[in-house]
Amino acid sequence: MVLDFMSESRQISAHKTGISKLALVALAAVFVAGLFVVAFDQGHVLSLVYGEQAFADQFFHELTHDVRHAAGFPCH
Amino acid sequence: MKTLAFVAIVLISGASAGLIHGAVNMLLVEPYLDSATEIENQSLFASGLAQDTAEFRAEYEGYRSWQKSGMILGTVVLGISIGSLFGIIFALSRNSLPGQSDVKKSFALAGIMWFALFVVPFLKYPANPPTIGEADTLALRTALYVSFVVISGLGAVCFYKLSKILPSGKKILALAGYAMLISVAFAVMPENPDKITVHADLITGFRIMSMLGITSFWVSVGVFLGLFWSRLDPYKGTPRTYN
Repeated sequence: MVLDFMSESRQISAHKTGISKLALVALAAVFVAGLFVVAFDQGHVLSLVYGEQAFADQFFHELTHDVRHAAGFPCH
Repeated sequence: MKTLAFVAIVLISGASAGLIHGAVNMLLVEPYLDSATEIENQSLFASGLAQDTAEFRAEYEGYRSWQKSGMILGTVVLGISIGSLFGIIFALSRNSLPGQSDVKKSFALAGIMWFALFVVPFLKYPANPPTIGEADTLALRTALYVSFVVISGLGAVCFYKLSKILPSGKKILALAGYAMLISVAFAVMPENPDKITVHADLITGFRIMSMLGITSFWVSVGVFLGLFWSRLDPYKGTPRTYN
């Protein structure tokens, strides 16, 4: 009964949109996370592991330094 | 399966276009980055903070090689990221995009996004090479740049929607509205606070190559996603109501 209901719900959802909302949310997460790491991170991500030292090291900033300049993102 | 196919072709298209972007940057942009970082070196030597020794050069070359490897890795990750946004918008707007084939539709969307998310912001806040850009102004410059991209991007979406409900003879009003919005944003938003301190040839050459690199990405991602979609249409036969 429950499975029948779920199946019906899926069909309705697919009929309404055709595009999986889960896929859209997953891709949106990839977009935000990827853009932040490559373009804007100043140590924030690795500070979750290494604490304040990550802000001094700025590993992703240094690694993506050339991309940031080449793609027009603010850098220094 | 449809969902997996959709996500897969979006990610692969983005990564492939990012790889091409990285290759173009290695060829065209890196020489300018090397010139700019060498200017930074000369400033260090002139100020006495470093000496031009073999040891310094070995360390510098090693570091630059590492950063250049980051260029390829970074453009692939950036490609996957921007490609994901591109895939989302393509999936949601495919029915209303101009063109008879998926490749033409995808290419048209890539052109619109290239213009709204890159060209327009670039005209206000163009790319700069190393040596230009103070650490103290980074937060302000980031806020200004992101704001301009958001204004241009959301403005393009809103006026594109408007063009769809306007009668055929008045669609030009939507384009005029977008142009007016961007003109106001240009006039109101502050300039980049950092001064240009290097030779004009370096700046101009760098910006042209930067633009060619980004353009190579948008051309590639438009073609790749369109080709993949036309071959493996993940939602073939499924009614779509997004417009």
